[in-house]
Amino acid sequence: MAEMWITMGPQHPMTHGLWTLRVKVDGETVTDTEAELGYIHRGVEKICEARDFTQITPYCDRLCYVSAMTWAHSYIMAAEDLLEAEVPERAEYIRLMAAEVQRLASHLMWLGAFGPDIGNLTLMTWCLRDREMFLDLLQELGGSRMHYNYPRVGGVKRDIPIGWADRMKAKVKLFENRINEYEMLLDESTIWLVRLQGVGYATAEDQLNAGVTGPNIRAAGVNTDARWTNPYSVYDQVDWEPAVEKPTSVKGADCYDRYRVRMEEMRQSCRMLLDAIEKIPGGANTHYQPGDEMILTKAPTRAPEGATGFSTYECTRGVSNFYIQGGGDGRGKNPYRLSIRSPMFITIPYVAKTMIGYKIADIPAIMGSFDPCIGETDR
Amino acid sequence: MTEMGTTVTKEQNAEAAKAAADNLNARFSDAGVSTDVVAHKGGMKYDFVRITCSPDQWIGVAKHLKHELGVNHCAMVTGTHYPSGDDGRGWEVAYHMHRWPITNVKAHTMIVHEGEKLKGDDIPMEFEIFIPLPAGDSPSVPSIQDLWEGADWNEKETWDLVGIDFEGHVNMHRVLNPHDSPVGFHPLQRQHKIRYHDYNEMYDDPQGFGRKPVDEGRVK
Repeated sequence: MAEMWITMGPQHPMTHGLWTLRVKVDGETVTDTEAELGYIHRGVEKICEARDFTQITPYCDRLCYVSAMTWAHSYIMAAEDLLEAEVPERAEYIRLMAAEVQRLASHLMWLGAFGPDIGNLTLMTWCLRDREMFLDLLQELGGSRMHYNYPRVGGVKRDIPIGWADRMKAKVKLFENRINEYEMLLDESTIWLVRLQGVGYATAEDQLNAGVTGPNIRAAGVNTDARWTNPYSVYDQVDWEPAVEKPTSVKGADCYDRYRVRMEEMRQSCRMLLDAIEKIPGGANTHYQPGDEMILTKAPTRAPEGATGFSTYECTRGVSNFYIQGGGDGRGKNPYRLSIRSPMFITIPYVAKTMIGYKIADIPAIMGSFDPCIGETDR
Repeated sequence: MTEMGTTVTKEQNAEAAKAAADNLNARFSDAGVSTDVVAHKGGMKYDFVRITCSPDQWIGVAKHLKHELGVNHCAMVTGTHYPSGDDGRGWEVAYHMHRWPITNVKAHTMIVHEGEKLKGDDIPMEFEIFIPLPAGDSPSVPSIQDLWEGADWNEKETWDLVGIDFEGHVNMHRVLNPHDSPVGFHPLQRQHKIRYHDYNEMYDDPQGFGRKPVDEGRVK
């Protein structure tokens, strides 16, 4: 049969965003693919050269609108490396909790979007219902529902409000039971298993060489988690363990393993949150005023020429890196160059190549299981 | 302490960074490659290795990193434009790489490392490589696309946005800019200014009343 090219996207339910996958098919079998990105390139790196270090945070929030808190933290860590700012321990704990609540919300958005791909529409309504709980928690911290502008160089914008700890604990405990509910719905669904198992194999070494990180590579049975390998913040003080899945084949992890690893990661985030709220210095039900030295230290606002900052941060989709050079406009008030490494920018071309040999109906399952986010991909 | 093992300690990390730097210095210091150990500030509690080399030495250093020091992840490639060209540096390419103790596993197994028991080249490590390039219109470094597949799209992006040419890169094309962008248009070069909402405009004229059309004075 003659081969032909099919264009999936930029408007296609599989893409979870705005990009194009060009697929060459022989009958129903995929024989070649090409990814085309760049539809929502906003030039964040260029814009940041004309902003000072506090003004950049909102732009980094908007890199991934599903996971704003982790991206802002990733940037702030690089800025702190550059400006040599010290962070009070209470602020580190608050940041950890904020990032983990965001991770829960982000994974729920992923699961909610992945369900309809596989033919389970119930999942979308369930996940968005539960995600609302966590967005409410984050709204109490940052003031808005999705883009928080929360971390500051040297700490956080505001302390946790009175009562936040109790609400968070109640919601997390409720959600731990809800994860069991999800698993009862999914792991016993024949459609779910048939469409995910044995599809989209990817081995650990291949993925790492291609630059894939985060839950996608941990599904292949290796313990790589930047929170563990490159310890930052207070992740070494709270009770948790990296989510690692045992792959079901020598060919590596399939879509089902990647789904399992995220479910496990949500459990670990819950565990981390419940432990961190007990250990937070200064008490869980205290509210320090904005700018108090418990939550924010004074940090330099200018970076000299030649200074560099780099961060390695476990975002919800993999390791994100920021690299900042000091000495920009305004006598070092702006960065000279800010560079962003998005895990999905590297992952999407890799995933496009792993689809070769599978059926065209497997494409949504494979693509969705890697959790694409185009906001951070195109920057 | 969890069942999954502990994280790598500060001492292990410092030792591994020093070992990697010594290894690189022994092999490359005569050729003029400088290597030192740098500590992160702020929230990150570990050291990393910083290498500065010339484009001619880069492939040799890269192969050494991959095959001798076990660097298995090319995280990011950053190009920077220095129009002033001070110190013979008109451009710079910065590579950031990681080493993680990762091997394929058998089916139904997983590898969980006890962080404190890791030794030598199994200890996770971060590498930063600076390659200064002379000023000029055609900055160029050798491509490492065939060593780390992960460098492929990073190099495409760096060429697309900054205009640094990667010699030997197969299938170079625009990735973030439109495919029909003019030849030679690379927006992160410093001669391209942000038109609206420039730093000064934003504060002096936030409403934009004083803003003039781009072609003012040239249109009759």
